[in-house]
Amino acid sequence: MGPNGSGKSTLLRVLSTALRPDSGAFRVGGTDSLKSPRVVRAQTGLMVDRPTHYGDLSGWANAYFFARAYGMAEEKAEASLTELFDYFDLAEYRDDKVKTYSYGMGKKLALIEALAHGPRLLLLDEASLGLDYTSQLAYQRKIRDLKESGVAILLGSNQVDEVESLCDRVAFLHRGRLIQEGSPEELISSIKGVRRIEAALRNPVGYGAVEEVPGVARVVPEGRNLVVHCEDRPGIVADVVAGVVNAGGDITDLAVRRPNLEDVYVKLTGEALLNEG
Amino acid sequence: MKVNPPDAYWKKDVTLFFSRRFALVIKMVYPLAIIGPVAASGIPEQYKAAVIGIVAIMAGTFGSGESLTSDLNDGILGRVALTPIRPQRIVFEVLAVNALLDFLQLLPALLVAYLFNLAPAVWMLAATFAVFTTLVAANCIGVFIANFTTSPADVLLYATAILFPLIYVSGFFRNQDPSGLSAALRDFVPFAYMNDALKAVFGLATPTTPLEVFVYPTLICVVVIFAVCLTGPKLLSPRM
Repeated sequence: MGPNGSGKSTLLRVLSTALRPDSGAFRVGGTDSLKSPRVVRAQTGLMVDRPTHYGDLSGWANAYFFARAYGMAEEKAEASLTELFDYFDLAEYRDDKVKTYSYGMGKKLALIEALAHGPRLLLLDEASLGLDYTSQLAYQRKIRDLKESGVAILLGSNQVDEVESLCDRVAFLHRGRLIQEGSPEELISSIKGVRRIEAALRNPVGYGAVEEVPGVARVVPEGRNLVVHCEDRPGIVADVVAGVVNAGGDITDLAVRRPNLEDVYVKLTGEALLNEG
Repeated sequence: MKVNPPDAYWKKDVTLFFSRRFALVIKMVYPLAIIGPVAASGIPEQYKAAVIGIVAIMAGTFGSGESLTSDLNDGILGRVALTPIRPQRIVFEVLAVNALLDFLQLLPALLVAYLFNLAPAVWMLAATFAVFTTLVAANCIGVFIANFTTSPADVLLYATAILFPLIYVSGFFRNQDPSGLSAALRDFVPFAYMNDALKAVFGLATPTTPLEVFVYPTLICVVVIFAVCLTGPKLLSPRM
């Protein structure tokens, strides 16, 4: 995880052997990636954040081309692709030209291309962005299955819910540097004394007054709702509610939650900026 | 042999070539539209040979150069480069398939030119082969240019800068009887052998023999293909 420009995609580019690192080394399945990039590529599945395809070829032809490029035999490629096209509900559209696909269908096709050859390392950059709800569930189920079968998966994402539910370890990047790493539980428990208040409002309101409440660190509007990151001090919920009401907000639902990865994200990126200052 | 779905880079190009029907018609018709009337006309033979030569050179250079830069722009070629396929092999397949497809486009026009100007079979064969080697060399230039730009428009610009001196040295229009350095340079340009073979087809005398038309351009092309394939890793690396 990390803000835009933090180096997530660059890290994935390096690990996919597209870019040589300025220094350092890494191994995939015991193979030195800098000395034998082709061996590593054969073991790696890759989905870039903006996948592209040959638009005048069918989805099946695109996926088949990549499966064979990864060295799969004809029969194995066909069997694997048939299963994946069914799994991601693309079987009906497999013979359509990719230029007729929606953005989400293109993403699913890119996932199929990344998975078909049975990689030992899977590199995914914002993989679920643009997928419909059903496809997101299918994608998450597939990621868990692959994890159970021993595939190492590195996911570059800023979708907090997805990261929290899928990842064993989370690393935060900021300007190309690793600023924190740990399990989601470790990271969340590291920010003691923080609360998260989610207020559902009937109408959007200006939230300047809420930001002025002592102990409030950040207010994030999400549609008509407000998410307030604040200290865990006595009376703060009442103060925040009063701030929202004074700002003209009509609260229809209110939740006070334990911090999640989003709060960790906010804290870490805020600290990183402060340290730079 | 199954071409679609493609299991190799060259098969992908063949499938795409035949799947774009309107573009296919245009590609097949335009060489005929240019070369046919010229071959049937009464213009001097050296210019008939020059027109065919120019069409072959342009088709070859822009063929692979344009398709490569377009794929590089899309990012799809970068994605293909991250499969275990060797970049040199990808470049070789791009070259080979583009040269063959360009040849397929030019062949009907060549046959029409031969029909209007019947010549000894050995010269027609030599000229046909020389057109093919010209296409290979021109595609090599296209791939070479794609190393320096991802813009198809730049390909046109750079190609012009590279091709004009080569066309001049080959003696298409001026410099018909070169001597000294110009003659020495001419021996290393495959286009010159095509020009000589086509001139022979159209009835002009040429110092080049059919055997030389088969041997020398082949040797030159082998060297150039090898050199261009070596640029594969750079060509397919991400452009930052």
